[in-house]
Amino acid sequence: MDWGSIIGPSALVSLCAAGVRLAMPTALAAVGEAFCERAGVLNLGLEGMMLSGALGSFLGAYYTGNPWLGILAGVLAGLLLGALKAFLSVTMKTEQVINGIAIVLLAQGLTSFVYGKLFGVTSSPPRIEGLAPVEIPFLSEIPGLGRVLFTQSVVVYASLLLVVMIWAALFYSRLGLAVRAVGETPAAADAAAIHVDRIRWLAVLTAGGMAGLGGAVLIVTQLRLFANNITAGRGWVAIAIVIFGRWHPIWVLVGAFLFGFTDALQLRVQAAGGGINAVVPYEFFQALPYLVTVVVMVLSSITGRRDAQPAALGVPYRKEAMSR
Amino acid sequence: VAVDTVVAPPSRAAVDWMRRLRSLAALIFAIAAAVAVGAVILLSAEASPLQAYRAMLSGVFGSRFAIAQLLVEMVPLLIIGLGLALAFRARLWNIGAEGQFYVGALAGGIFALAVPIGFAPLAIALALLVAAAAGAAWAGIVGVLRARWGVNEVITSLLLNYVAVFYFGYFIRQPLKDPSGFLPQSREIPAAAQLPTFGNLDVHVGLLIGIALVPLLAYVMNRTPFGLRVNAMGSNPEAAQLAGVETRRMIVRLLALSGAFAGVAGIVQILGVQLRLQYGISPGFGFTAIIVALLGRTRPLGVLLASLLVSALSVGGDAMQLTQGVPVAAVHTIQALFVVFLLVADRIVGR
Repeated sequence: MDWGSIIGPSALVSLCAAGVRLAMPTALAAVGEAFCERAGVLNLGLEGMMLSGALGSFLGAYYTGNPWLGILAGVLAGLLLGALKAFLSVTMKTEQVINGIAIVLLAQGLTSFVYGKLFGVTSSPPRIEGLAPVEIPFLSEIPGLGRVLFTQSVVVYASLLLVVMIWAALFYSRLGLAVRAVGETPAAADAAAIHVDRIRWLAVLTAGGMAGLGGAVLIVTQLRLFANNITAGRGWVAIAIVIFGRWHPIWVLVGAFLFGFTDALQLRVQAAGGGINAVVPYEFFQALPYLVTVVVMVLSSITGRRDAQPAALGVPYRKEAMSR
Repeated sequence: VAVDTVVAPPSRAAVDWMRRLRSLAALIFAIAAAVAVGAVILLSAEASPLQAYRAMLSGVFGSRFAIAQLLVEMVPLLIIGLGLALAFRARLWNIGAEGQFYVGALAGGIFALAVPIGFAPLAIALALLVAAAAGAAWAGIVGVLRARWGVNEVITSLLLNYVAVFYFGYFIRQPLKDPSGFLPQSREIPAAAQLPTFGNLDVHVGLLIGIALVPLLAYVMNRTPFGLRVNAMGSNPEAAQLAGVETRRMIVRLLALSGAFAGVAGIVQILGVQLRLQYGISPGFGFTAIIVALLGRTRPLGVLLASLLVSALSVGGDAMQLTQGVPVAAVHTIQALFVVFLLVADRIVGR
């Protein structure tokens, strides 16, 4: 195996560039989830929201011929499932673990149904026109870093901006303060005239929209087609990354890049090590990103401070609970 | 002066019955609502809901072959669902049954292929034992991580599904591949280890194994100290810990046990239906079984009935796809809606 083609200097740059690209869908979903969990709602429906965003964007782009409208449709699809999640968790106060899993199963059934009805089973699935990368003048010529960060699709730049905005909103705005208060001590927030359920609805919708966007970015900038379960567990990886990132958007982003890098690396090693008779079977590489995610999550659970997790995570807030 | 009217509190039995009645009402509402929304989904696919549902019914009960198919499809859902019910009862959310199913199928299958035993009952029993151990070990990882370091079991169990399925794919493509064929699949399981069928239906004895597990698990859950601890963990983990339940050890045990059930379901599917290790041994049994366990209210008898219902839907869905051209995923959507509506209905009846 030619290791230079995998980890040599120029290879490393393109590897990192690929890592950023592959990380983006997961990163968007994970940052949205971090925001949502900060408000105290555990959203295990993320995978389903990404999946519906993926189908939404594919259909939008396929029927309008415009990838941007596709992205919009993807976000709307994610928002729709986000509304269902918020209704079940915040309004109805049902068990959050179960309603999350139910939403994933629902999305898997619905997306497969809709796609199957519209396109049937074909040997060559229909493709959409995606978004091409854009090189930002001057910045893209920075050695190394320029190629990693500034030769991406416009969506990637917008996504990075969005992540920074969510981080800023969470820590430097009144809304963010309310979100964190609601996730830590909802009773105190309520006493301070913060509408707990309203803030939580907003947070869950944010997670839904961001996950939908993540699914859309996956389709429009990378895959350009749809298939059943095409998100392949990225939503679950995103939830693990939130724990790794200790519910902090910037660290969550870093975690997503780590995942993206692993993914890029395994693809590269598979390609270089090559073929069906390679020393290390390709299935081991395919399993690697999931395994790395588990290991990283375990490590951060062992070493991390326990109090990073929002205190009211997963606990529905009931007003009457105080008077009891 | 207030006059105290003395009202006898309702007897315990009456309260218990009211609770059961409410629970049943919620269940019936949930199923009816899911079927109704299912009808809308079918309409959107330009199919007549009545015709589609009729096609499903005749696909399920229309022939002896159909009934046999229903029962065969029910076996993995029942066995996995029972194990999940046990874990869910203690509020341990194992959603890695799909992977545990694959690991059980792989380990048990390797044993059956590598160790030829002529005496059928022994060959089958040992393969089942190996599969149970493998499933338990795979799920045990999740349990240890949760018990030792508080790592969320939902996410680890789910992520390990992918690892299990990829590794399974490697084994059937490389070391276990049948050299006489081109497909990535193992040799056929030796005849002695294949599950016999019983009665005059073409249904393997795995069904009897699954049904036998129902009263066994019900006994363990309701009549033993172990079952008491499980219920205590489910209703109030802190109190359970105070009452002396060794929660950590219980977490590992319960997750391992639910993994053992899934592992057994995996090998039963190999020895009874597939007869080879190959791709696609599960169309998502491990996930559908989550619905079965929840719909069955985590009660063994409930799981039995739920597995029958969900299996009927799946088999009926196949028939519907054939005759009405409606994608079978419509059925998966309806199954997921069961859970969504059940959550809402439970809340409405105040359960």
